[in-house]
Amino acid sequence: MAKNPYKVLGIKEGASYDEIKRAYRELAKKYHPDRYTNNPLADLAEEKMREINEAYDSLMKNTGGAYQYQQEYQQSYDSSNASRGAGNQQQQSSYQYQNDNETELERQARTYINSGNLNEAQKILDRMRNKNATWYYLQGLIFLRRGWYDRGYTNIQRAANMDPANFEYRNALNNLNQQSTGYRQNYYYRNTYHNSPDMCNLCTNLWCADTLCECMGGDLISCC
Amino acid sequence: MFGYVEPDKPELRMREFDVFRGYYCSLCQTIGRRYGQVPRISLNFDLTFLYLLLDSLDPLPVMGKKDRCLVHPTRKRWIAFSNIFAEYAADMNIVLTYYNLMDKWNDEKSILGGAGAVVLRHAFKKARKLHPEKCASIEGHLKNLAQLEKNGCDSMDEAAEPFAAIMRELFECGHIKDESERKTLGWMGYNLGRWIYILDAYDDMEEDAKQKSYNPLLSQYEFDGADIKSFKEKTREPVNFSLTYTMSEIEKAYLLIGIEKNKGILDNILYSGLIVKTDKVLRGRGKENGKESI
Repeated sequence: MAKNPYKVLGIKEGASYDEIKRAYRELAKKYHPDRYTNNPLADLAEEKMREINEAYDSLMKNTGGAYQYQQEYQQSYDSSNASRGAGNQQQQSSYQYQNDNETELERQARTYINSGNLNEAQKILDRMRNKNATWYYLQGLIFLRRGWYDRGYTNIQRAANMDPANFEYRNALNNLNQQSTGYRQNYYYRNTYHNSPDMCNLCTNLWCADTLCECMGGDLISCC
Repeated sequence: MFGYVEPDKPELRMREFDVFRGYYCSLCQTIGRRYGQVPRISLNFDLTFLYLLLDSLDPLPVMGKKDRCLVHPTRKRWIAFSNIFAEYAADMNIVLTYYNLMDKWNDEKSILGGAGAVVLRHAFKKARKLHPEKCASIEGHLKNLAQLEKNGCDSMDEAAEPFAAIMRELFECGHIKDESERKTLGWMGYNLGRWIYILDAYDDMEEDAKQKSYNPLLSQYEFDGADIKSFKEKTREPVNFSLTYTMSEIEKAYLLIGIEKNKGILDNILYSGLIVKTDKVLRGRGKENGKESI
């Protein structure tokens, strides 16, 4: 049985078109598959995203509105799905280029990593003699999945340094940095008391205001 | 090693603070009822968080009563009614504290640790009888940890693994029937344990350098015995990345569980309590950088 779409999106029944859109946008950002790459919970996030998409779909059909916005998300959603293995035209071509250089072993290791079988993937990597950029990249992915983020980061960084032109490695590295700064941003956005004005700030501001006034020939605080 | 998971108090609402304290008191009383008065001192914030989290998965609204207790006899406080999750958290609290005290006794021959372990011995035996598999698995992880420490393991990831695995074990509570929910909780526990271990290692760096005892960060970044202050400065960035990324993984797992009950308190802990703690340890903000529990 399908869930109540309003409940899935966390909004009141009979919410307006804009409210639905806003709620959908918020949730799509939270559960976006890009945030859950290299995460053992990726399949659960995917399921959740599908649920959200379905809920939005059914609501939009009922209100008769255009759901162009959702299609945009759907597209980026599909493409990041593709980067984890499922097909998509544009991503396929970049893979093609890589597959030419990739040995059979590397391909196998990738398949194991994507399916979450880390021990098998590690066994394959251990068998590989030639430690090129791809090797470090794959090793990094395995570490990330295990929850060993320090080693995961250094390995992927190394891969990106060895092959600076490779889009995939650079992308992965950027994604890692983005995840951690994103989490902190959330905190600064939520919390105001840590950066709310204090007495020191107040004095500096007054002093600045006074100086500026004096520049223009006036005076805010006459004693200084 | 315990007591890092706390709310960011100034950002809590009054009501939320009362509820959080209600859970804390409830856990304390549950320990008292199950194990006697003395083991109540072993109560810590990390297990309170576990109790709060597990109870929040139950959609029934939280119930409690205003009551006095032995520790705070002067004023009546709101205390949540005990339930299976409180009992589970109480048992795990005893188990973890006991192992921690034993570890202190074995490592440093700390008199306090040894005495504490003797006091808790009876309670621990009772808790182990109730959760034989959990205890067996925790003991296995602790053995790994001891081995890693003996070998002077030079990777924070590897050194954090056993404690993280212990926390995964605790979070995968048997009372939660849904398979994928338990898995998500486990991943949350793993990352929380990892965060606690690495943060604790950074916190102890100065002390460990002085006493020449094992510390994964000193090993990984090859401390040469020179200036510990500048060494801490140098290692702050990578440690910060590791901790922040770990927290973001905790948050992702939390989002997937999709909890509505006690959301304000849980959000507060996971979106700011953890960061405030991290920054306090990393940057030494404020003089009161003391640890709350044993």
